[in-house]
Amino acid sequence: MIEPALLANFFTIFFSSAMVILLGALYALLFAFSRIKGERRLMPLAYLSYAGLVVATLTLAQAANLLKQPFWFSIVLLMLLGYLLAPHGIWHLCVSTHADEAPRDSAIPNSKQDFIS
Amino acid sequence: MATTMGRLDSANLNGGQKLAVKYFLVAGILFGAQILFGLISGLQYLMPELLYGVLDFSVNRMVHINALVVWLLYGFLGSVYWMLEEESQHEVVGLKLGNLIFWVLTSAVTVVVLVYLLVQVGPGNQTSLWLINEGREYIEAPRWADIGIVVSVLVFFYNVATTFSKGRYTGIAGVLVLDLLALFGLYLAGMFYTPNISVDQYWWWWVIHLWVEATWEVMVACIMAYGLMKVLGVRRKIVETWLYIEVALMFGSGILGLGHHYFWIGTPEYWFTIGGLFSALEPVPLVAMVVHAVFDAGARHAKNSNHPTMAWLIAHAFGNFFGAGVWGFMHTLPQINLYTHGTQWSASHGHLAFFGAYATIIIAFFYLAAQRWRGGVWMSGELPGNGWKWKWALGLLNLGMIGMTVALLISGYEQSQIERAIEGSSWIGYFAAQAHPWFIQGMWWREAFGVMFALGFVLLVWDLLTIGKGETRAQQAIAAE
Repeated sequence: MIEPALLANFFTIFFSSAMVILLGALYALLFAFSRIKGERRLMPLAYLSYAGLVVATLTLAQAANLLKQPFWFSIVLLMLLGYLLAPHGIWHLCVSTHADEAPRDSAIPNSKQDFIS
Repeated sequence: MATTMGRLDSANLNGGQKLAVKYFLVAGILFGAQILFGLISGLQYLMPELLYGVLDFSVNRMVHINALVVWLLYGFLGSVYWMLEEESQHEVVGLKLGNLIFWVLTSAVTVVVLVYLLVQVGPGNQTSLWLINEGREYIEAPRWADIGIVVSVLVFFYNVATTFSKGRYTGIAGVLVLDLLALFGLYLAGMFYTPNISVDQYWWWWVIHLWVEATWEVMVACIMAYGLMKVLGVRRKIVETWLYIEVALMFGSGILGLGHHYFWIGTPEYWFTIGGLFSALEPVPLVAMVVHAVFDAGARHAKNSNHPTMAWLIAHAFGNFFGAGVWGFMHTLPQINLYTHGTQWSASHGHLAFFGAYATIIIAFFYLAAQRWRGGVWMSGELPGNGWKWKWALGLLNLGMIGMTVALLISGYEQSQIERAIEGSSWIGYFAAQAHPWFIQGMWWREAFGVMFALGFVLLVWDLLTIGKGETRAQQAIAAE
């Protein structure tokens, strides 16, 4: 069911795993900042972080032998999809839950319409 | 309610808060005990003959971990009693019983600790299981004390559920009451004996993972929701909506995340599949949390009524993210967990995750309690001495913990390579890894940062006892509800 990692790949696994989470957080952070401050130039950086996350995930998958079996490969794809969509989903929820609150900062979208635009 | 500004006066507290303060005081004492026994057991890694036959490593480690579990439990019980009357807008129902149970539980904890320290050598049988040590790691309390914990939690549940049902039944109340049912029920899973070690471990993990990680996490979410309303003035509707979302995300990935504990205990292979899948997805809610934090920070510019509490809430968010997220995911997939499971790597993850996810938020509540106990004093900017004591305590405790975590990581990395991968988990490998310079140096650094952590604790206690003393300004007004 699993193929244990090789000793030579230990450091790669630990490092790439940490990078998956850290780049995931950086992507989420830049994504949210870009939206909340209306700074469009931050969005490419957010997706650059996500691209880094993809590289880290594939490196992890390679080092931990996840690409050799369909089940583990599908987990890799699920992770990539989850990290990509989670910030979008949570942003959408943030906007909806704050929709009837008087805006204290004009940059914060106050309705679904603002969110879409 | 008449207040005496700047003085520790119980008249400043409601009934539930008076009981909460008792829980907080015992939690603080046990926190100190945890650090003391941690320092001694850390030193015994380096000097195995130290206190041998007097206070053995096995006993020190047990007291270190049990003190952690119990002080956090006391902290949670205290935090819930703290918010109960304000949240329900009703006096605590059965407060006398709650007080009685506090004394019974505290007496029982004292007896258990004394038995841990004085009576731990001898044959194991049914009598020792009932009176001395149940034998399950982390929940070694003898059976009589286990039953006592269950009864205490039942009384706690009665206090909370009936108070909410007679007063205001909020969204926080709904989640909390259901969670307390689970807190009572899941502990039972660790109380029956089976001669099959795999079956025994299977149920034991229900207590360790689901009781500690799931029911406690939900309790933290409820406490956090109340804390955000009090300190930041976040509106109830928003806080409660997010509480539901967070609980759904947590349960969605967290419950079956239990699978990563079932990799090597003799359970069927499908646990690799389940544990691997949910372990990979567990950090996703943490990333989602980042987006929400940025959104909220942008919406309210972090204006708050209690700076130390706010700082510890922020430490909670970071600690949870790094301790549970980064440190957890680094070694959770079975392909690598085969080598890291049960090494100092686990200890590294455990230290940062427990501190980040739980200790920080209870310390935040200690400061909320100190503020109210002194009559709702000012605890925002421009504190005497620029608030150096709370800032240094925060810095020393967090740096000490980060240092211990990294030091244990180095030792654990060495163990996973030499003991597990090269020597194949043999006894020779075990001792070879423990004698390796990288392991020993890591342990020395852990001890040094442990001392730093202990200094931070001393400063924290000093600050909690003195902050707001003689203060005449009332706390900064923050809109809520």
